[in-house]
Amino acid sequence: MSDTSQGTGGLTFDKSKRQWPNELNVLAALILIVIIFEILGAVFVGQSLLFDTNDRFDSIFNEARLRIIIIQVAIVGIIALGVTQVIITAGIDLSSGSVLGATAMIAMSFAQVAEVNGAPNPKAIFGPAFLDLPVIVPVMVGLGCGIIAGIINGILVAYSRIPPFIATLGMMLFARGVAQWWSSGNPVSFPTEAYAVIGAGMNPVIIFLALALLFHLVMNYTLYGKHTFAIGSNEAAARMSGINVPRHLVLVYAIAGMLAGLSAVILTSKNLTAQSGMGLSYELDAIAMAVIGGVSLFGGRGSIVGTVIGALIIGVITSGFTFLRLGAFYQEMVLGCIIVGAVALDQWQQKRAAARA
Amino acid sequence: MKKFVLAAGLTALMSTGAFAQQIGVSVARFDDNGLTVMRNGMAAHEAKLDGVSLQVEDATDDVAKQLDQINNFIASGVDAIIVNAVDTNATEAMSAAAASAGVPLVYVNRQPINMATLPDGQAFVASNEIESGTLAAFRMCQDLRAQGKSGGARAYMLMGQLSNQAAVQRSKDFEDVIGMDMCNFITLIDKQTAEWSRDKAQDLMTNWISSGEPFDAVFGNNDEMAIGAIQAMKAAGISMDDVVVGGVDATSDALVSMQAGEMDVTVFQDLAGQGAGSIDTAIALINGEDVDKAVFIPFKLVTPENIGEFLP
Repeated sequence: MSDTSQGTGGLTFDKSKRQWPNELNVLAALILIVIIFEILGAVFVGQSLLFDTNDRFDSIFNEARLRIIIIQVAIVGIIALGVTQVIITAGIDLSSGSVLGATAMIAMSFAQVAEVNGAPNPKAIFGPAFLDLPVIVPVMVGLGCGIIAGIINGILVAYSRIPPFIATLGMMLFARGVAQWWSSGNPVSFPTEAYAVIGAGMNPVIIFLALALLFHLVMNYTLYGKHTFAIGSNEAAARMSGINVPRHLVLVYAIAGMLAGLSAVILTSKNLTAQSGMGLSYELDAIAMAVIGGVSLFGGRGSIVGTVIGALIIGVITSGFTFLRLGAFYQEMVLGCIIVGAVALDQWQQKRAAARA
Repeated sequence: MKKFVLAAGLTALMSTGAFAQQIGVSVARFDDNGLTVMRNGMAAHEAKLDGVSLQVEDATDDVAKQLDQINNFIASGVDAIIVNAVDTNATEAMSAAAASAGVPLVYVNRQPINMATLPDGQAFVASNEIESGTLAAFRMCQDLRAQGKSGGARAYMLMGQLSNQAAVQRSKDFEDVIGMDMCNFITLIDKQTAEWSRDKAQDLMTNWISSGEPFDAVFGNNDEMAIGAIQAMKAAGISMDDVVVGGVDATSDALVSMQAGEMDVTVFQDLAGQGAGSIDTAIALINGEDVDKAVFIPFKLVTPENIGEFLP
């Protein structure tokens, strides 16, 4: 694969050369996986994965399962939206899971309630002046922590020319250390009611899909998106055509950091607790979603829509395995195969497209 | 002359070292809630004792790293070592290293695989793991009977990491209890691992609920997973009066949940007591006293009736 000319959004973007969009392949894979689970379900448990086979809902679908399929991937999915942009610039962000952990601890400390069941909050981190704060405070703290971590990543990558893998690996270790140091490993629990609303019910999904739509538009119809693809396709050419590459990279990493911070807020709100081990290996789950969704680790190729479908594939597999009552080990084996398979298929198609063009 | 000064300095250093008992501690992970309680129990006990100084290190759930830490402790001449094993199957090498260096070794909280062949100068401090799952499961069985469900009840079980002895033991205890004549009206619908995590348990429980199977009880290998299951059930509009939920650990989050009438059973493992007990055992071993190979700190059942004893 040559690294310049097959991009769907690179500098050499040419509509006539555009193949059958990659997102359709990913969608086809999603549908295929659903069909496999439907068949296995009919044979082994006598139930349907997605359809309402025992008349519990007013619709033809098993709505509870449709909801959980997407709830369980929404939070990592939000991280994946940022990671997708980073990978499109030919970078990588290994720090998002740890940044989530650190942000979770810090933000939650500003969201605590003063009294639990009539007794003072046993997990309070700060004194009374910092309890029962308005919900905007922890949210802003959370976004702020994420943005700061992202800016540091961006500066390391863009100005000191440390490879993104190393820069974000450093941040990954550092942020996990912060998460554990913050309360010496103790969990931070019992948030205010207003804070608990953020991650309740379907809210994580609504936030995920709204952000996906936003970034889909941003990546496809704004200068920001065009510059992101341009840098990933050919950084030297991007610089030569007048893009301020370092500044743009800092912005991309800052957005990825902000999304990790936001997912920390949503996750702690959903779980009503923050723990220093939170977000462990989420960065890899997020990268997996992006890669399954067709984002190329060489940069310049990929889409938000693909990543969202990639997230849904992981959600369907997780729910599907529980539905079949199979253990978690099989789930990880299958996920591993799917990730490698997705990239192999993608490479093969690229090669074929290149040969035809 | 230079050599003499150096030697004198070193001797002085070593002799001050001899005043305080140096104990090296390797904890499986710093970010585990239960182990943090244990670690804090150690620190509090250290502050109370005169002339004991702890050096606590995080093995970050890495077996190889833990063995390196132990060898480093031995090399730096500590008086005793306390290990909270990452993987209980890997303790043979640790016992051998400490025994050949003549340094007392205390395993805390997690039972070493070589328990039967533990060398002299080594001991194990913990609660008897068989108690915890059995206490919780039996009480859940009684609660289900009291609710008039002795004609048949259905349960889900959330398990910890399957490589962990506590997870395996607690799961087995639960299945043993529901195999007893008195409790065999309970059938297990499904058991899956949620890796001790509240978040994973919440998603797993929601997945189970989505299959529409009716159920009467949920047992979590720890409180965090039981709380995750409770949050999922509440979100699905299931009344917490209809479901018996049990966990293990009696964390403060779990006690609050019990006060709110959600969690029905948990088991208090005196982790701070285990931490303090491991230091006492290590000191006894340093002083050459006779120490039992296994020092057990008892578990206690926590229910809405006696929750008052466990509130801060």
